[in-house]
Amino acid sequence: MGPLIVYDIISDNANLFFAFLIGIGFGFVLEINGFSSSRRLAGMFYGYDTTVLKVFFTAAIVGAVGLLFMSLFNWIDLSSIYINPTFLWSTLGGGAIMGAGFILGGYCPGTSVCAASIGKLDALAFVGGIFIGIFIFTEGFPLWEEFYNAKYIGSPVLSEFLGSSRGVLTLLMILVALGMFWIGEWAEKRFARDDYKLNQK
Amino acid sequence: MKARLALASIIIPMGLIIAAVPENTTKPFKLTANELLEEVKSGTQFIYPDQVAEMVITKDPTLQIVDVRNADEFEKFSLPNAINIPLVDILNPEWEDYIDQDVKFNVFYSNGTNDANEAWMITRQLGYENNYVLEGGLNYWVETIMNPEAPKSTSSNEEILKYNLRKGAGMALGGAAVNTQPSTMAKSSKPPITKRKKKKRVVGGC
Repeated sequence: MGPLIVYDIISDNANLFFAFLIGIGFGFVLEINGFSSSRRLAGMFYGYDTTVLKVFFTAAIVGAVGLLFMSLFNWIDLSSIYINPTFLWSTLGGGAIMGAGFILGGYCPGTSVCAASIGKLDALAFVGGIFIGIFIFTEGFPLWEEFYNAKYIGSPVLSEFLGSSRGVLTLLMILVALGMFWIGEWAEKRFARDDYKLNQK
Repeated sequence: MKARLALASIIIPMGLIIAAVPENTTKPFKLTANELLEEVKSGTQFIYPDQVAEMVITKDPTLQIVDVRNADEFEKFSLPNAINIPLVDILNPEWEDYIDQDVKFNVFYSNGTNDANEAWMITRQLGYENNYVLEGGLNYWVETIMNPEAPKSTSSNEEILKYNLRKGAGMALGGAAVNTQPSTMAKSSKPPITKRKKKKRVVGGC
């Protein structure tokens, strides 16, 4: 069996078209899971709604199992999958900034676009903030260029770091995920709020 | 609650299966004989001495010259900063990181074109990229870069420019000033030895 899509066989334009369709699909899944509600997103931090954890962890383990099975059947070459290289300090710094923005604004970048598209004004303000952030980052780039490029550690993979096979690590992640779902649902009861109903429309 | 049980009952068995089966390490993207034949016919693997010389002069950091002759020949004479991966050793895992990568521009050379071309075909068949063959090999290199033939005064600007580039390259590489073959060899044989040591340090560092 051949690979599903060989790199370079489909043209760049067709590639963009597929990306467009996948993007719409992604937005749809976000919206249908209520990710355009900032209360639901912020609920993750306070424990009264852990949908974010459940959706993304489910996506991760389904994706991991799917990729490994496709690799097993020779449908995909795992070595040609792009893994974003890690620059440790900028990863940590960017993560902290994004986390802070997430709690303050109630959205992450993707969900803010999702919520803005259904006309939420706070999400529009958030998108505006993203552009201000991009402007500051690019204009001030020389100031943090060194920090941005510091501590390059390539593309480390957790399974290599732990010395286990990818399959064993995936099984481990599945068990961790299911444990997290259980804890999440416990937290939803423990930190439940009177003014917030789960899965409200 | 139910959804979690359903998810668990499907994904845990799948996880168990994927943890139990050995990892698939075969690379499905090897070239077929036909694809390789097409590449050989079009000759895209060849790179001319002038291009390599220019990269050497501009100190292009992506250039990696690979000598595929045996170690004895490499000791006697090699191009600057070249590393030695004898053709018989090309499949040694020790060299895999050098020939299977997507950063450096590897140029294989041997005395003629044959050995380097064979090395290229093997690596290409494995699906490796960024490996090229020095057109004409070392013999042609000495002829064009080390001892370039001066163009006639009536030659086109292009010819003269090419000659100047070659002469400059030859000088930078420690040849050209002397026209006789043996002394060129003797002169050029020195720097590669010191530079090879430097290379070895890099091997340790990586």
